[in-house]
Amino acid sequence: MTNDSPYSTRRNFLRKSGLSALGVNLALGLPSLTRATVEKPLRKQRLIFLFSPNGVIPRHFWPDQLGADFDLKRILQPLAEFKNRTMTLHGVCNRIRGDGDGHMRGIGCLLTGIELYPGDIQGGSDTPAGWSQGISVDQHLKNCLQADSRTQTRFGSLEFGVMVPERSDTWTRMSYAGPNQPLTPIDDPYQMFDKLYGRVKNREMLASVLDGLSDDFRRLEKMISSDDRLILQNHLEMVREVEKDLQLEMLAAKESSNVGHAVPSLPPNVEEKNDNMPQISRMQADLLVNSFVADFARVATFQITNSVGQPRMKWLDISEGHHELSHEPDSNEAAYEKLIKINTWYCEQVAYLAKRLAETPEPGGGGSLLDNTTIVWTNELGKGNSHTRNNIPFVLVGGGLGWKMGRAMDFEGVNHNRLLMSFCEAMGHPVDSFGNPDFCGDGSLTGLV
Amino acid sequence: MFNSCFARVSCVFLLLFVAATVMAEDTPRSTVVADSFLNQGRLVYAESCQHCHGDQGQGIADGYDKPLVGDDSVGQLSKLITETMPEGEPEQCVGDAAEAVAAYIHHAFYSEAARVRNRPPRLTVTHLTANQLRQSLADLYGAFYGAIKKESSRGIQARYFMTTKRNDDNKKIERVDSIIAFDWQDQGPGGGIQPEEFAVEWSGGLKIEETGQYEIVIHSTCAFICNLGHANREFINNRVQSGDKVEFRKSIVLTAGRVYPIQIELYQRKRKTQQPPATILLSWVPPDGVQTILPERNLLPVTPPPSFSLQTKLPPDDRSYGFDRGLSVDRQWDDSITTAAVEFAGVAINELWPHYQRRHKNDPDQHREKLRSFLLQIATTAFRGPLDDVNRQFYVDGQVDQSEDDAEAIKRCLLAVIKSPRFLYPELDRDRSVSQRAANRIALTLFDSLPVDESLLRLIRQDKLESERQVRGAAERMVQDYRVEGKTHQFVAEWLNLSRISEAAKNPELFSDFDLALHADLKASLTGFTQSVIESDASDFRQMFLANWSFTTAPLADFYGEAWERGELTVASDVAAKSPEENAVEVGPAGQQDDSIQESADKQEAQQERHNHLSLAVGDSGRIPHRRLLKTRSADSQHFGLLSHPYLLSGLAYQDSTSPIHRGVFLIRYLLGRSLRPPDEAFTPLTPDLHPDMTTRERVQLQTSPQSCQVCHAKINGLGFVLENFDAVGRYRIQEGEKPIDASGGYTSRTGQEIAFQGVSELADYLAGSDDAHRAFVNRAFQHFTKQPIAAYGARRLDLLTEKFRENDFHIRNLLVEIATIAATQPILNSEPESNLHRADVTRRQGQVGKLLRQEGTP
Repeated sequence: MTNDSPYSTRRNFLRKSGLSALGVNLALGLPSLTRATVEKPLRKQRLIFLFSPNGVIPRHFWPDQLGADFDLKRILQPLAEFKNRTMTLHGVCNRIRGDGDGHMRGIGCLLTGIELYPGDIQGGSDTPAGWSQGISVDQHLKNCLQADSRTQTRFGSLEFGVMVPERSDTWTRMSYAGPNQPLTPIDDPYQMFDKLYGRVKNREMLASVLDGLSDDFRRLEKMISSDDRLILQNHLEMVREVEKDLQLEMLAAKESSNVGHAVPSLPPNVEEKNDNMPQISRMQADLLVNSFVADFARVATFQITNSVGQPRMKWLDISEGHHELSHEPDSNEAAYEKLIKINTWYCEQVAYLAKRLAETPEPGGGGSLLDNTTIVWTNELGKGNSHTRNNIPFVLVGGGLGWKMGRAMDFEGVNHNRLLMSFCEAMGHPVDSFGNPDFCGDGSLTGLV
Repeated sequence: MFNSCFARVSCVFLLLFVAATVMAEDTPRSTVVADSFLNQGRLVYAESCQHCHGDQGQGIADGYDKPLVGDDSVGQLSKLITETMPEGEPEQCVGDAAEAVAAYIHHAFYSEAARVRNRPPRLTVTHLTANQLRQSLADLYGAFYGAIKKESSRGIQARYFMTTKRNDDNKKIERVDSIIAFDWQDQGPGGGIQPEEFAVEWSGGLKIEETGQYEIVIHSTCAFICNLGHANREFINNRVQSGDKVEFRKSIVLTAGRVYPIQIELYQRKRKTQQPPATILLSWVPPDGVQTILPERNLLPVTPPPSFSLQTKLPPDDRSYGFDRGLSVDRQWDDSITTAAVEFAGVAINELWPHYQRRHKNDPDQHREKLRSFLLQIATTAFRGPLDDVNRQFYVDGQVDQSEDDAEAIKRCLLAVIKSPRFLYPELDRDRSVSQRAANRIALTLFDSLPVDESLLRLIRQDKLESERQVRGAAERMVQDYRVEGKTHQFVAEWLNLSRISEAAKNPELFSDFDLALHADLKASLTGFTQSVIESDASDFRQMFLANWSFTTAPLADFYGEAWERGELTVASDVAAKSPEENAVEVGPAGQQDDSIQESADKQEAQQERHNHLSLAVGDSGRIPHRRLLKTRSADSQHFGLLSHPYLLSGLAYQDSTSPIHRGVFLIRYLLGRSLRPPDEAFTPLTPDLHPDMTTRERVQLQTSPQSCQVCHAKINGLGFVLENFDAVGRYRIQEGEKPIDASGGYTSRTGQEIAFQGVSELADYLAGSDDAHRAFVNRAFQHFTKQPIAAYGARRLDLLTEKFRENDFHIRNLLVEIATIAATQPILNSEPESNLHRADVTRRQGQVGKLLRQEGTP
């Protein structure tokens, strides 16, 4: 190769071919650069997007006082314990236009920052729409983290749900692996458990039935001629070997569980129904914390119901569905009060998750999981009865992003794409734009760190 | 004396005995040999042969190391010895000596009778084969829902609604669509339905003939949902029509002989913006790998009960006996059973258990009684009979007590049950009643599965499977089942060794249109043909060679010419040549089946739409062919059933020329059931380029002309040449180059009878009436259906069964009934029925049966 060649150096080649160093390693099967050069381990950073629907009651949500001396209003009271690790971001607006009604764009553009495709889902107003035209920020970050051996985990991301209807449409999907590729959140804790621990659990169960099976082999052996016994004896011998291997495996698992990788246990027979929502929410939160302890993923979504969600919070003595109530004018005092209660309940879920993270030590490091995890609590609307997507609720708890917490901030009307860019930057993967570039002018938000 | 000749002359085919493949007993004639004559032969053998061939003809390492076994007659052996043995000095052993030594060899170890006598084959305890496991789990699931009856009509039930709400008030059209392939543009589906908003629901059964990976492909510009296997099992979800995403693909393993409920709901939703034109097309990529519109012949207009198809990959079975047997026990197999158990537990938890709870709403549920009964029902089905207290405690109660969570208890129980020897080894049922054991064997023989059908369970409960007559009666009813059809389909593939015919590549310069799609049509045609023969009323084996028709498609007719043009409108289905009305239903996608809902104007529209759907081209995939299988015109002299079928003939040929040797070997080994050993060395055929003036026949003759080659090639070539009227792609020809085709040939039967043929027609006549062909078919069928060597059921069993086949006018389905009857009665029943078997009795009887077998094995 001569020096005239455009690819005369590795760097040139990389630059001109438009491949990142890592991409080249993957594409050419070269040994990883990062493995070749010893680098100090990165701090684990984790990010959770927790969604609750139908907007909030702003007067009882947003602090009146900005800065470090901010006040926690009624809805945010459950976070009192974490006040100095909490940050409220007022003035962030989802300004994505195009097809779809407010709720659809509210959830479909929330983490993607880009328009929906034209489609056949007709909402109450506006034009019909389909799925989002782009990837969501959680999945984008997952891809970035998974592409780097230092931040790679078993799953990369996990998509939790709580009572998400059995219906895939624009209102029920928040996370997208790419254009037209909505991801289905797993809202059955048993199914999530199976995904996380199914194999281990199955091995445990298998180990516990093999002994009884061996006994039955012996009983059956007596029933047949010695010629035929051979195949059964071989089989039994194999069963015993499997049993031995499993015992070793269980022993090893037990040892590693002493350092915090225990397989959690779920309460039995919890059906997926409205009234079990509080219990399911806790089970899912526990599983999420457990999956972080085991370092199964660094990014997660936690979607409580869906855009236009209709849970009936009978445990709060509220029999109407949430969405139905959210349309009531502010003058309907009863509804107003109920909506505050409902949103407070959502906040309790955030607080529970924060508490579980705070009381769980960071494996292999100092501090707690919450020190290295940020929960981003958000919503498809700013306010239910106006369907506004201005002042989208963004309440952050925890130290994953490394931002300066314990503050109430007001950005006074910035595009939410810029916040999505800030997430990328804080997670170590800055971008020039996220979603529709037209909404990314001025870049990521400043003043967060 | 045999040794050096055979060692040097490598293209001689020695007749091979695969140690445990028990084949037919030789003719009784060959065993009638005087003792003194045999003695004389024994002496000759000891003196001249033994040092190279071993004292029992087993072969020796330094001499000739292959065993002396085969199916030539004494006369043929004698001739061979006279001409070639001892090697280099054949004149030393001729006349009486040659005859005596041939008789001795034949009697002592060479013939099949000798082998059966020396090592009597026995029934072996084996575990479920991969296919049996797949089928058994399908029925373990299906036991909760019941089976589907055979259905003669084809197509899929369609209901068209004037809004997206699917209720009776909105229903405008109800009919059977032959396929799902519609391009309605912006016109709507007709029937007065407004194009802006409508819904269509297709529902029916997806009938599967071959187990394997299927890719279902749906193209649609509308929102749709496709459920497969169960009404709640969402397979493809496109609830949201979004952007220009129109292609949806998903793969699934489906099981032969099963019919899966399939439902597609399509929604054209009213909206404020402009709608894309409405289209939908249902196609698939079956295991042969060619995407086509999902054909009418695989669609039933009735919705079958929910069905389960195992997705777990299972390792292949032991085939050392020439057919699948569950003999290998290793970790890979064990792991796959665990994975299968976990997979099955998933559907048990999500589908069977809720279903059971709904049906037993009012049952008492103290101490989780319902869950226990549910699991006991599964275990009872899986173990092919009731559980005693010890087993109930371990398999059911113990697992329930160890887990508070129902789903976990179900999984624990199923891991134990599916990994249990009681499920995996169907023959371990000697503590069962006679009727139960008989039912277990009929189900295993005919379905590769468990006895789950209510009619059969009733016979077990009533102890009504204790005599041969009762068993035959049950088998006769059960043979009319899709599961049998699936297993038979697989058997035909084994009989014809179809797995070897995957190579479709032909020289594109010579055969430009012979592509993968055409090859897939040929495969469908062959399948349609054999199914049609077997499922017809006469179910006549001879039609396999004598039928003067086949099934064709438009591309086949274009390629193969007049003989392959379609005749009357008969669509290949599992029922051959049905009444004209049914044909009309099967052919016409719309209109004929409508209730009075539709006006005649709508019918015209439906007609129009038929054109639309046949010319639909889809996006990037280009045009997806729709190949309707139709019967060819009858009475065409070029059709001789399988013998003239291009799928076989092109498969048994080279890229640019025929291969009489491949065809000959196929005829000898598979259709006539004779044993052939492969040549010791691979030979490259002489290329046509080096011998431009010779025909293929002449080249083969030249290459195999040495006398030593001729020993075997006289048999092979003589049969292969008879098919020379069909070229490398199976097209009929009367000359090769400038020279006329010479399609003469001949065959020496197992009994030494010499037959000469002039062309395929005479060969077809011979095969239809040939004892060798009948025995080969019966033997293969027996092995395939029972997974046991037929001689294990008595040394003369093959003769007797072949005789019965002949007496029954070669009725194939009756043969299957007989096979199931033998399998279900032989090791279990004495001539007198017994109501109960005690273990001691059984053990004693097993001993007697064994003794009987050995006696029968002695000529």
